[in-house]
Amino acid sequence: MQRVALLASHLISSSDSTSSKMAETKSDIHLYTAQTPNGIKVSMLLEELGLPYKVTAIELGKNTQKEPWFLEINPNGRIPALTDTLTDGSPIRLFESGSIMQYLVDRYDTEHKLSYPRGTREYYEVNNWLFWQMGGLGPMQGQANHFARYAPEKIKYGIDRYQNETRRLYRVMDDHLKKSKSGYLVGDRCTIADIACWGWVAAGYWAGISLDDFPSLNAWVDKIVARPGSEKGRHVPSRHKALENRHQTEEEKDKAAEETRGWVLQGMQEDAKKK
Amino acid sequence: MTSTSNPPKPIRVWITPPGPNSWKTVFVLEELGINYEFKSFRFDDVKKRPFIDVNPNGRVPAIEDPNTGVTLWESGAINQYLVEVYDTEKRLTHEGLKERHLCNQWLQFQMSGQGPYYGQAGWFQHLHPEKIPSAVERYTKEIRRVLTVLEGVLAAQPADAQWLVGGKMTYADMAFAPWDFRLSEVLMQSWDEVWEGLPHVRAWHERMVGLPSWKRAMEHRARLMDEQGLQWNGVPKGIETFTEYEEKIAKGET
Repeated sequence: MQRVALLASHLISSSDSTSSKMAETKSDIHLYTAQTPNGIKVSMLLEELGLPYKVTAIELGKNTQKEPWFLEINPNGRIPALTDTLTDGSPIRLFESGSIMQYLVDRYDTEHKLSYPRGTREYYEVNNWLFWQMGGLGPMQGQANHFARYAPEKIKYGIDRYQNETRRLYRVMDDHLKKSKSGYLVGDRCTIADIACWGWVAAGYWAGISLDDFPSLNAWVDKIVARPGSEKGRHVPSRHKALENRHQTEEEKDKAAEETRGWVLQGMQEDAKKK
Repeated sequence: MTSTSNPPKPIRVWITPPGPNSWKTVFVLEELGINYEFKSFRFDDVKKRPFIDVNPNGRVPAIEDPNTGVTLWESGAINQYLVEVYDTEKRLTHEGLKERHLCNQWLQFQMSGQGPYYGQAGWFQHLHPEKIPSAVERYTKEIRRVLTVLEGVLAAQPADAQWLVGGKMTYADMAFAPWDFRLSEVLMQSWDEVWEGLPHVRAWHERMVGLPSWKRAMEHRARLMDEQGLQWNGVPKGIETFTEYEEKIAKGET
């Protein structure tokens, strides 16, 4: 870490001075979100950091995320998105949950409660796990959800392919947590990497993955929900139910999926028409 | 080449040559002229030692930087590290808080939106032995949707500076090139068909793949593929068509 710090000294000094200037400004954060694993990442982080913020609940069932006013904020038409005002008074609009989290800690977590200083080894390792979640765990578990719950026909290969990949990713994380002294992914503290993964792992049951085979991961889920900030943030914009639904039977899950299947598939068809 | 803090010892880059993600990192290394060396190995060995000691997730690329003692995996995290530590002149990034985070945003869109979906489309289109039309359709539609989002954003930029952030090419633009480079193959269409209705994305992509750094990266790719007896598309030499390759996969011969 010393050698990294030495080599990247230009980074650390410049970011520290930027951060302290930023810390003096008050926030004007507005979060556009829904009760999904990606949405609650941001509210959990905002609560952990104790930052004030406004919330607009986006109704995915009514395709609010495809309305022109929302596409101005996020041309990709997905939640979460966030707006804020920079120190010079100009607005910033961000999408992609991982990028929003990195912005929030870069600007507001000047005491490094849930992050590490730029240029340190731990800083890059946090990004490593964050990107692993964004490029692997989220998309693959999302495909498992699609084939297991939403696809109009049950395609066994599709279900198996993505459940197996999700299980492989859980195994990678479980092995890593097993070796961690703090019980968190990187170093001695809970970071944005843990928070990014939490909503997905907590909802593993929905993709058909039981945590019984992953003891370290299971303990980590409980450890994070025991944190007051994360506990409060997971219920934004509405109650988070994944933990209480963990032991639902396949039939109960299929019944619950019926309610959302309609709009998930309709949204896909509308996207296809637009090309 | 103009990077002011070129590391004295080469950065070791672990890759298996066929897949697109490694070339995302090599493109940035080449564009910045950073001192690096390849550790090229066969795809069959990604889930084995010694590689899983470097990346427990068993996916390429990964890097070991002896100058800092940092080991990293996930191409997006690697590229941000390279740019933050070695691009001291900010050629491929920006200094300001806003632009820095917008670059990060587009990189994450690439990693979570482009890569995984193009990858699944490629799998169901070419590699999976049984044809599942609804799966092919799901992922090829998503590719079109991602390209349409990019088209709208690029078209809204000033005509002489159509890049994602701040009017110049950054590592965020570059991250899209390796997967887009495979579109003709993934969608099984001619390039004119691929780019239909997407003139701004096409011009943006062609500006990038016309760069000497991209060409050097592709020369390395050709050489490393050749070393492993693979053709440019990842198919073993001696197999002429994907259909033939698919038949061999179906028979379990590869």
